[in-house]
Amino acid sequence: MLRKIIALLKKNFLIETSYKLSFLFNILSVFATILTYFFINKLFGHKISSHLETFGVNYFSYVLLSMAFFSYIGVGIGSFSARIRSEQMQGTLESLLLTPTKIGVLLMSMALWNLIFATLDVFIYIGLGIFLFKINFSAINIASTIVILILTIISFSSLGIISASFILIFKRGNPVGWIINTLEGLLGGVYFPVTVMPLPLQLIAKCFPITHAIRAMQLAVYKGYSIFQIKNELLFLIFFSLALIPFSLYSFKFALRRAREQGSLLQY
Amino acid sequence: MKDYVLQVEKLSKSFYPALSFGDLARFNFKNKPPTKALTDVSFCLKKGEILGILGPNGAGKTTLLKIISTLILPDKGKVIVNNLEVGCEDNKIKSFIGLMSSEERSFYWRLTGRQNLEFFATMFGLSTQQAKSKIQEFFEIFKINYAHKRFDSYSTGMKKTFSLIRALLHNPELLLLDEPTKSLDYHSSSYLIEFIKAQAKEGKAILLATHNMPEAENLCGQFMILHNGKVYGAGTQDELRKKINSHSASLTDIYVKLTQNA
Repeated sequence: MLRKIIALLKKNFLIETSYKLSFLFNILSVFATILTYFFINKLFGHKISSHLETFGVNYFSYVLLSMAFFSYIGVGIGSFSARIRSEQMQGTLESLLLTPTKIGVLLMSMALWNLIFATLDVFIYIGLGIFLFKINFSAINIASTIVILILTIISFSSLGIISASFILIFKRGNPVGWIINTLEGLLGGVYFPVTVMPLPLQLIAKCFPITHAIRAMQLAVYKGYSIFQIKNELLFLIFFSLALIPFSLYSFKFALRRAREQGSLLQY
Repeated sequence: MKDYVLQVEKLSKSFYPALSFGDLARFNFKNKPPTKALTDVSFCLKKGEILGILGPNGAGKTTLLKIISTLILPDKGKVIVNNLEVGCEDNKIKSFIGLMSSEERSFYWRLTGRQNLEFFATMFGLSTQQAKSKIQEFFEIFKINYAHKRFDSYSTGMKKTFSLIRALLHNPELLLLDEPTKSLDYHSSSYLIEFIKAQAKEGKAILLATHNMPEAENLCGQFMILHNGKVYGAGTQDELRKKINSHSASLTDIYVKLTQNA
């Protein structure tokens, strides 16, 4: 099993590095995004400082961490469906499924690849934050941060697998990906604290795991909150993970069976 | 019964067209009439036999191969590979099957030929050492000196050769070949045909889907005429000749005669 996971990771690495400019442009696009928010902060940052008192940071520090974290989540979610779609379009999904490889191994390798790739993105965000924009991360509670990351990865990977199930059947059109990237990005406190929004929207935001994940992450990184101090957010993420893992695995197996019934594994 | 590597019993498969946006807008959720890809197809295959599935494009040949190789699920019927039923023990079955697809897009084009084969060898459960020696063995057989080049730079013939090598990497007992010599020049296709014959002599059961009658005549001992998903005749060439009462009929004549009223 381990050899197969390593082989899948190596294959993805070789394909990714065969696109030489892609990595450079990734860094540049992260830099451009950060710079945009740096200037937005200069222009309007002071106007929402009252909403950021809970976290004890200015708008730029808040948005940099949320965006790093959200890109982590977004990459995690999007990559399952992106990988499936890429295998469909390359025509290699059938060849892969012809090998005696368990679905769990395929999903595990995708999850690990997502993790490696997303971590790289986060390092770019945080590295630029520390060295270029002099953001202070010294208060970070490492234990809380790691727990939040693990729970977030599990729960959002489950969403990613559900999202990939849609791609297996419908090829394009992925409501889960849309909800997470668009709706959760808007309402989940990524670009501004949720307290900026009217009360009804704040209530809707509370239903999304990303709202709790981002709040917990901000508090753990900037205020050094312990696991106990963010227990409510963590409990929500645990509940979300426990509910979604079995459902996501079931949905993927169902989608695969449906695609095999339709004979559409190679279609895209 | 244990002699059979492959048993196919009353296999049927239909494909339903997807509902269009217009259908959904009109709340018309009824399935459209299906395309019948296979209807009650049955046959068996022993070790060392080459069975030619003959039929035109759209006859159901590729669907049949994909069902046997576990990629498509049948509506009805059974497929048994080495006493294991498709749909129940698929991962075990995959170790016994090698599929050479007619599809060119089944490799990672950004990787080299060798990287592709090493990857698939690992996925088939070969150790690094086994994979390396097996791949080297095939490179010598097929005189391959371009394995370090990226797959997207290969000609159709090169891609076909790699597809066959991949199908054989894990030494499967059942080899499924879908139009193996399509788009190949005379020299390459002759070489491939001789290689396939040698594989059968070594004991592999081979299922060859083709619409190339002379090639099938040269390669296969048994034939099955498939047309619109139905079997119109099966047996040796002599048995099929008897069926149409013609002692010297070619496979093309047999095919035309058997399907003329279809």
